[in-house]
Amino acid sequence: MTEPADKNHLGASIDTFAVSKTTFYRREFTRIQEAEGIVLSWNSMAAIFGPLWGAMRGIWGFFWVFLVLEMFALVQIGRGLWGELGGDKLERYERLSANIAKREAQAAELLAAGDAAGAEGKLKIATNLKKAAETALLEAQEAAQQATTVLLIGLSLLLLVKLLEGFYANHAYERQYLKWRSNPRIQSGTSVKGVIWGLVLVFCILPLTLIRFTVVKTDETLSAFTGGLLGDRLPMTEFPVGKEYFTILAAHGDEGFDWLANRFGGVFDGITHVIRSVLNAIETLLIGTPWPVVMVVIVVAAFRLAGIRIAIFTAAALAYLAFMGLWEISMITVALIGTGAFLCILLGIPLGIWFGKSQRAYKTAEPVLDFMQTMPAFVYLIPIIAFFGTGKPPGVLATLIFAMPPVIRLTALGMRGVPETTKEAALAFGCSRRQLLWNVELPLAMPSIMTGINQTILMSLSMVVIASLIGAEGLGALILEALQYAAKGQGLLGGLAILFCAMVIDRVAQGAYKKNQD
Amino acid sequence: MQPTSSQDMIVLENVWKIFGYNADEAMAAIKERNLSKNDVLAEFGCVVGIADCSFSVRKGEVFCVMGLSGSGKSTMVRHLNRLIEPTAGKINVLGRDMLALNDADLRAMRAREIGMVFQHMALLPHRTVRDNVAFPLQIRGESKAKRWEVSQRCLAMVNLEGYEDRFPNELSGGMQQRVGLARALASDPDVLLMDEPFSALDPLIRRQLQDQFMELSQKLHKTTVFITHDLDEAIRIGDRIAIMKDGRIVQIGTPEEIVTQPADDYVRDFVEGISKLKLVFAHSIMVPISEFKPDRGQKLDKAPRASHAASLDALIDISATTTHPIVIHDDDGKEIGVVDKTTLLKGIQGGKA
Repeated sequence: MTEPADKNHLGASIDTFAVSKTTFYRREFTRIQEAEGIVLSWNSMAAIFGPLWGAMRGIWGFFWVFLVLEMFALVQIGRGLWGELGGDKLERYERLSANIAKREAQAAELLAAGDAAGAEGKLKIATNLKKAAETALLEAQEAAQQATTVLLIGLSLLLLVKLLEGFYANHAYERQYLKWRSNPRIQSGTSVKGVIWGLVLVFCILPLTLIRFTVVKTDETLSAFTGGLLGDRLPMTEFPVGKEYFTILAAHGDEGFDWLANRFGGVFDGITHVIRSVLNAIETLLIGTPWPVVMVVIVVAAFRLAGIRIAIFTAAALAYLAFMGLWEISMITVALIGTGAFLCILLGIPLGIWFGKSQRAYKTAEPVLDFMQTMPAFVYLIPIIAFFGTGKPPGVLATLIFAMPPVIRLTALGMRGVPETTKEAALAFGCSRRQLLWNVELPLAMPSIMTGINQTILMSLSMVVIASLIGAEGLGALILEALQYAAKGQGLLGGLAILFCAMVIDRVAQGAYKKNQD
Repeated sequence: MQPTSSQDMIVLENVWKIFGYNADEAMAAIKERNLSKNDVLAEFGCVVGIADCSFSVRKGEVFCVMGLSGSGKSTMVRHLNRLIEPTAGKINVLGRDMLALNDADLRAMRAREIGMVFQHMALLPHRTVRDNVAFPLQIRGESKAKRWEVSQRCLAMVNLEGYEDRFPNELSGGMQQRVGLARALASDPDVLLMDEPFSALDPLIRRQLQDQFMELSQKLHKTTVFITHDLDEAIRIGDRIAIMKDGRIVQIGTPEEIVTQPADDYVRDFVEGISKLKLVFAHSIMVPISEFKPDRGQKLDKAPRASHAASLDALIDISATTTHPIVIHDDDGKEIGVVDKTTLLKGIQGGKA
């Protein structure tokens, strides 16, 4: 053979990869690689042994896909061969028949006792039941007649799967070969270990599944097979554990929370107190001040910070709140969000700076942050109630848990985004660490930090409804009420109010930031 | 080690830098067993950044450090203001033992005595040009008025008047680097460290900045350590050049010494493409006057004269106007040698007679 040198090399590497049946794979891989369109390449071994061929050659994707497909086909065949098709219907028929017999016996008794009317009633019931029983029997017979069809479908499915296996195998193996070329840790050749693993998996999965889907009384059948070991003592249809462990652990959890609440009551009260004082200050500012003053200040601030268009929008939004009679509770809500956001920023930025500087601290904190963001709010509402009771301060705390991660993350991101070269230059001019932070790192991280603050504010807003569940008043409570009484109009108007609050805060913040950028 | 004169502003003695967790063990092993760079990497997983570097820089001198990327030149210059701590060795700047300084003294030293210019400018994007230049003074806690006055003066030195209120991203690369230079000059340091300052610029701008820097350098007499990967640049700018390879200094010398007497093949490879016309001088190629045998009819008394420090370039100019050989005299006017056409051509060709 006079192949070009590089092709010989390629062929040699295919030999190294395939180990056995090298001429076959060399030929087929070449065919696949030289084809411009679809090429049919048949592998009998793969068709015959199916998933096990994949296991032997280390193509586990092939193994799993075709194991499932073959299993599906085999279940159909099993149902056709020995499956009691319509078994459930037959059971119903038997149950009904027994019932009929019982009613008839009762009727006979009543007749003997001279209660003709009672006997009549029972017999009427029996007649009705008979109709139902006949229908069930008919359905059962019909189903049983379908057995041949099911068997045929199963067989043709199996054939189809085998064809797929045979024609797909070489393509899959060629892809494996290409991966192997760049990553020699990928399995090459045949592996006895793979075959053993494949067999173990097949034996674990196939028989039980087959029985479960082809036999009506799975556990009884299994127990008959295994002398009561499987099925009776170890049921297969459902996991043999109830709520025993769950109850024990939950009880311990209760105790733990109670203990913590008692032991650290002072700490929790202190936290509540701090939050309440911030909340009171902001509430006084927003509600204590006459409404015209607050409105004018907000609109003027929007104008100064973000320009005329956003100021007009703000005025319109405030007018909506006022004319709907929602002014006061809106301000309560804003105070709640404001407190939450303020505390988020107060705690979040220093934490973010720390995590930005220390890789180890960030690695430790990251799962906690993920947890804070992904945990459904209802889950941590419960311990919050246990430790802090109900009302606004716990509502603020729930907001903190949910809304703090973005500002922490984005501050850390911003800190890590400060170019090393810039930091180095600052150090070369004699910066101390504090000077570096204030003059270089924070200013350069500011865009990212601002994004974080914005996100935190918006996420606080989304928490108002949930916070109202634990007694935080405001627009959230209005919506919650609407939900309880299915008051559609109230819900819509309240929802719009929250939306306007959010949009005003977001637009003003973004507008201010953009204006700063220009 | 030769005794250091009082004129030496920067003295490095046997400085080593080894990167990695086992740096100290690796250092000990190197001293005991004389391991090579690859041995250290294989045995300790440590990278040798700087190996046994010693040199001194005199007052007002421009000392170029030339090497390819990875040769350790940027690491080396960061030792001079201790942005990187050495693993072993002594570093003395302006007569002070840098390694003995505490944090506060080190910061003071960086803020007052050692200015630095970076390859990637590293300006602060949120500050105007004026405030960027004033940054080192702000760090020192100077008043705003003082900062701005100095900033103005330094910007004038680099011909950037009128750009004070711009932001760095509004300036071209060359202008940004001039801001970087102005910033380094703002604290009026005695020592300037320049880490490939012109490498990121295009050739034309680079040449302009080189000229501008040389002009400034002659005016200000700052002791300068100038890092570059470009031998042409080193030769243009440097009073002396150190050539680095794999963390070691291969050769230190004046541009002429480097070009005419390369220490090894590595340096010779570099020097090969360099034009010698302005680097080689009459005394390197002349034939001593006692050994010169004039051709028939040639009389040396009619021959033109040139100083022993005349460059080949100058000698070619003279030779083009006459058929006579050129007589070379020393600083006192005494005739010491002769350069005829053959000697001159050979000198151009090889740099050496």
